Amino acid sequence: MTFAVRAVVGLVYLFLLAPVIVVAGASFDGGKSVAGRAFLQFPPSELTLYWYENIQPRLWEALGVSVSVAAVAAAAGTILGVPAALGIVRGNLPGKTLIATLLRAPLQIPFIVIGIAFLQTYYFVANAVGFGLQGTFAGLALGHVFVATPYVVGSVGAALQRFDLRLEEAALSLGAGRWTTFRRITLPIIMPGIYAGALFAFMVSFGDVPISLFLAGASFTTLPLEIFHGMEFDFDAAVLAISTVVLLGSLVVLYFIQRIVGLDVLLRSGGNG
Amino acid sequence: MKADWTLVLLPPMLFCFLLLGGTQFLFIRAGFFEDLGIGLIGDELVLDNYLTVFTDPFYLDALILNMKVSSVVVACGLLCAYPVAYVIARMRSGQWAMVMLAAIVVSSFVTIVIKVLGLIIIFGSDGVLNRALLGLGLIDGPLKIVGNVYGVMVGLMHYVLGFMVLMLFSVIQTIPRSLEEAALIHGAPPWRMFARVVFPLSLPGVATSALIVFNLCMGAFVSAALLGGGRVLTLPVVIERAIVLDTEYAMGGTLSAILLVSVILINVLSVWLLNRFRKARLVIA
Repeated sequence: MTFAVRAVVGLVYLFLLAPVIVVAGASFDGGKSVAGRAFLQFPPSELTLYWYENIQPRLWEALGVSVSVAAVAAAAGTILGVPAALGIVRGNLPGKTLIATLLRAPLQIPFIVIGIAFLQTYYFVANAVGFGLQGTFAGLALGHVFVATPYVVGSVGAALQRFDLRLEEAALSLGAGRWTTFRRITLPIIMPGIYAGALFAFMVSFGDVPISLFLAGASFTTLPLEIFHGMEFDFDAAVLAISTVVLLGSLVVLYFIQRIVGLDVLLRSGGNG
Repeated sequence: MKADWTLVLLPPMLFCFLLLGGTQFLFIRAGFFEDLGIGLIGDELVLDNYLTVFTDPFYLDALILNMKVSSVVVACGLLCAYPVAYVIARMRSGQWAMVMLAAIVVSSFVTIVIKVLGLIIIFGSDGVLNRALLGLGLIDGPLKIVGNVYGVMVGLMHYVLGFMVLMLFSVIQTIPRSLEEAALIHGAPPWRMFARVVFPLSLPGVATSALIVFNLCMGAFVSAALLGGGRVLTLPVVIERAIVLDTEYAMGGTLSAILLVSVILINVLSVWLLNRFRKARLVIA
């Protein structure tokens, strides 16, 4: 491997990891002397937990909303996505390719367009029946379910395509019922695909700004949206502290995934969904 | 037995198609109403918004800027991601390869707003990079990166590099190492082996990942809005302003429809070109 290639690899890793390290590092900075500009201090001048003690309730609430919405998106995405993947891979409906393409379509639509499309739809429904989902938790969650489902369809579909059908035939011929075969043979084998899809769904929903921007209500926002508005308007360095909390949370989640199914599950199912 | 799987497919399919069809139809339809200001829209379907968009250079410039920025990011992304993916795919130690991939996965899983926050701390005018460069005496004044189009590109690079490495890795991994060895044994210098063996074989993967990343960039909103400092007006930023600042709901719909259609057109066109290209190559070979 030549020196130039090594340098590029090193720089790419530095570029990818530095922002995360810098956010975590700067969150421990005192920074009170330069009021409002505290977020520019890295490496930290003095180590303090000041910003961690001063995370406003608003940010914790936003974190709660984000986790709930992402959990709903992952759960609903799984409930919709697993049967859809089974139907596409194993069913024989005419136009299966077209159906599969349309089920993946939400991934091709820019998120900001999805946000606007759902908002316009809620307004339209509100005009028609006098009750709309705009600014409600259900409305926000529905938008997230829409973009989460294709990830589950994608990764479960990939797992099903690798599936060795002889395993099922063996179970059936040995006298297991169809439901038992599904529960004891099929489900455990495609489980890593389900985990990966649900995890992607959770992360995509959790990190989203453009959809929530239009669907979140006046009384509740998601954490990325709070951070986004914080950077656009009045910056509060406590945002760095709660970001670091989220970073730690993501690391813990990834650690458990590594322990339970192995991170390579995420690679095999393809990060792009 | 087959019919049962179709029954399993139908409920989620109908639900997803209802959401897809309903929302897309309604927002495209909304783009044909007249904006009356303060969030009110007319009730007749007219072409006014489309005429405005195609005659006002402001909107066309936004679309063109969007495409330019996305293309540059795709090109730079490939140049940076390819060597990384190749090195990981050809590592002798599987454990180290796993660690390097895990680092990419971790960085891709971090919420984009948090990464942008870190990028501002690093690339800001009083940021880590500028203070380091000034301290070393390499520059006279701070580099302006955040707040203009370079900042947006840096943000988009960060957004897509991880995905790109993972996608290219999975393609390069499938190219047998023995092909490289064969080329080298027959006397090809490494660059030639790469240009004639590895790269052509990875081309389908390169094309797919370029297309996916182009799509991501066209719709990217967070990086453009925050690292552009409100001065880099790509189409997603203009759309957000039309709706949030100017409450022009119909115009927002129109612009979203144009963004969506241009993304789809570019995708269809590239797939068509790729297929032609592949057929042409087959004829030559």
